[in-house]
Amino acid sequence: MKNQYYVTKYDVKADNAFALEDNIMVKDGLTTAGSKMLHNYISPIDATVVRKLLDKGMELAGKTKLDEFAVMGVSGDNNELSGVVGAVLDKTCRIALCNDVFGKVRRQAAENCLYYIRPTYGTVSRFGLVQTVSSMDQIGIVCGDLDEGIETLSVIAGHDENDSTTQGDGSLALNSKGPLKEGKYTIGIPVNVMNKTDEKSKEAIKELASKYHTEEFELEHFEVLSQVMYILSSAEIGNNTSRYDGVKFGYRSENYEGLKDLYTNSRTEGFGLNMKLTSIIGAMVLSSGNYEKFYLKAMKIRRQIKEQCDELFKGFDAIAMPLTLDSQDPYVNLALYALAPLCGLPSLSVPLGSNNGVQLISQAMNENVLFDICKGGR
Amino acid sequence: MKYEVVMGLEVHVELATESKLFCSCSAKFGSEANENVCPSCSGMPGFVPALNKRAVELGIIAGLVTNCEITPRITFDKKNYFYPDLPTGHQNTQLYAPICRNGYVEIETESGKKKIRIKQIHLEEDAGKLVHDYRTDASLVDYNRASVPLIEIVSEPDFRSAEEVVAYLEKIQSLFTFADVSDCKMQEGSMRCDVNISVREAGSSELGTRTEMKNLNSFKAIARAIEYESERQITAVETGCEEIVQETRRWDDNIGESYAMRDKEDANDYRYFPNPDIMPVYISDEWIAEVKTTIPELAEEKYKRLTEEYGLSDYDSKLLTGSRKIADIFDGTLKYVDNPKEVANWILGDLSSIVNEDNKPFDEIDIDYEKLGKLIKMVEKKTVNRTIGKKILQEIYTNNVDPEEYAREHKLGMIADTGFLKDIVNKVINENEKSIIEYKEGNQKVVGFFMGKIMRETQGKADPNTVREILVEELDKYKI
Repeated sequence: MKNQYYVTKYDVKADNAFALEDNIMVKDGLTTAGSKMLHNYISPIDATVVRKLLDKGMELAGKTKLDEFAVMGVSGDNNELSGVVGAVLDKTCRIALCNDVFGKVRRQAAENCLYYIRPTYGTVSRFGLVQTVSSMDQIGIVCGDLDEGIETLSVIAGHDENDSTTQGDGSLALNSKGPLKEGKYTIGIPVNVMNKTDEKSKEAIKELASKYHTEEFELEHFEVLSQVMYILSSAEIGNNTSRYDGVKFGYRSENYEGLKDLYTNSRTEGFGLNMKLTSIIGAMVLSSGNYEKFYLKAMKIRRQIKEQCDELFKGFDAIAMPLTLDSQDPYVNLALYALAPLCGLPSLSVPLGSNNGVQLISQAMNENVLFDICKGGR
Repeated sequence: MKYEVVMGLEVHVELATESKLFCSCSAKFGSEANENVCPSCSGMPGFVPALNKRAVELGIIAGLVTNCEITPRITFDKKNYFYPDLPTGHQNTQLYAPICRNGYVEIETESGKKKIRIKQIHLEEDAGKLVHDYRTDASLVDYNRASVPLIEIVSEPDFRSAEEVVAYLEKIQSLFTFADVSDCKMQEGSMRCDVNISVREAGSSELGTRTEMKNLNSFKAIARAIEYESERQITAVETGCEEIVQETRRWDDNIGESYAMRDKEDANDYRYFPNPDIMPVYISDEWIAEVKTTIPELAEEKYKRLTEEYGLSDYDSKLLTGSRKIADIFDGTLKYVDNPKEVANWILGDLSSIVNEDNKPFDEIDIDYEKLGKLIKMVEKKTVNRTIGKKILQEIYTNNVDPEEYAREHKLGMIADTGFLKDIVNKVINENEKSIIEYKEGNQKVVGFFMGKIMRETQGKADPNTVREILVEELDKYKI
């Protein structure tokens, strides 16, 4: 079957089917991660999430298209609809799983009246997910019906001995229901972010604020979040994709003499422009002389942001942020999507307003608060 | 001008774990190429490293036996470089928080005892192996060794002679083999050593420019390489005809020279950074204490037991604790026969000479402790005599026979029937009347002559002491 959102589409009934971004492995099937580099890569295993969903009796609708290695380009046009969003929108499946590090799916889901759950880092096993940014990779769920998304999360979450970063049954999504504390929820609104967003987003946040008690705060380091995110993710992407060298599996150039040639030509021909750019930036920020200036500095800011978040969540149940700024530049907008992955926090994209939405972020393991707010609780 | 050689060592030791550092593949040596490989250790996407707890414990033990401080929170870092033997394009190692720091070992050379300081010990993974196939002119890669756990022991520049270097390596080998950290076999590559070497005027406190020597595959090669490199550097300093540059040099033991390496090792910027996939490991005092109780008896303690408890000589005790293998044979056999002195005699005497004749290093032999113990008991109880015992030992060694069965089948049991022996003795005496006269005239040597004849008659199966007793008794009865 052909479908514009899929790489591979199976003939199954949509009402019991899930779709996967083509970087999540299904045994004996192709997993290309959207790259020529892995054009012929047959997965030796089922990803843990796939195993769990199949065991629950769900069926695989297919594998969807994605940006090469799920890395969003920060230059050029970036408005093509993500495969996972398209697949759910098209009603070819009930839910779709993907690894949204750079925010494209979070934004597009809300813009298309869908939800995107990005759980706490370490909630869902990454076993069988092609690595992008190891410290931020987190499989999330695109869904049209939030309850279906929550139920899916409860199926795929939990400790996996194949991924030592997974945590026990700590996710509240798994075991807690109803109000978590007495009284009304307090939602923090980052005023310096709001100043830079567009009218549509302001409307959406306003709609949320009309229902809840909100407080304004200043999000520290917001002006450098894009840089921090870009430096750290490039370093990890460059490292994670250095295994694709034409030696063992994946694409190998037909045209080489000697080892250096084999590496250079295979990687030149196998990777797209964005991946090459990312790898070069990644190598640059880690190289001696630059490490302290870029990587280490970004790591320090990452820690400071985490510390601020820890403080914020002493007073707030969640913070709400827009999904677009008053700019079309993907690099500028990256600042909005960086907070959750940098700090390992759960986020929920909620459609609000017209073709727009907000992202709610809570402290780690507090997915339930996000769901509760989204459903209009207290 | 007098010069002093200053050296520091980087010793790599493969840990004696069952499985690899991040997956459940076997870590054993000598399998078919790529037999012990899975998607994880061959670098395929989608696999997350799962740290081998046993490797961490062996790292702790390595630190404890070398008097190191154990780091309470350890982390892993990625070291990046491209090479076909490195499946993921990075090596997992410890740059920022190595498992052990600030230790020392004491070595003994002819010039006395000396402490060698250990800067740090870190855990890391090994790389695979490239094999060049000359028939097809292709390079092949074997990932069996990829991700086998290693520790690297980095010393301070405390060495002043090749003798000290070898003494240190022997000490490390002894400590780690007795503690079950590693089998430390240089010939199989489970122990490897790089030497950082520089020279300076004797008495100077400044360090000269150092070079790093690689590919040192035996103690002999290490000693030769050190001699070569120190002479090269001294000549360079004295004549000024060559400048010493900081570089990595590869030792070629066949031609006895080293040459500068121009490869991955030299030109690389390793771009280290923390590995986000491996969570920090917290090593509590309780864990250390628990691990400590599992450390087997080390050579020094064993030596004490042998000399003090068993009363064995200094010399024998040193030999019996000289390697893990010989110590194991001793202790293993002692379980079956409670006579340390006899066991020591058998191992250091008869067994050693058999092994020598076989031209094998002692560490590679295989012998059943129970059978050896049984044999020693049989000789003790005079079921067989010592000469026959030695023959049976040879059979145990080469054919793994059971000594009791073997003696029974080959009718090697001693003749314990004194009546029967008396008959043989009298028969021999009667056949040699001339010798009786000599005996009566006081020539004691004749006893030996008679003994030889009698033992021949009994095919060596009589206990010489019993025979001697009977012989003297019977000879004295004779009246001329």
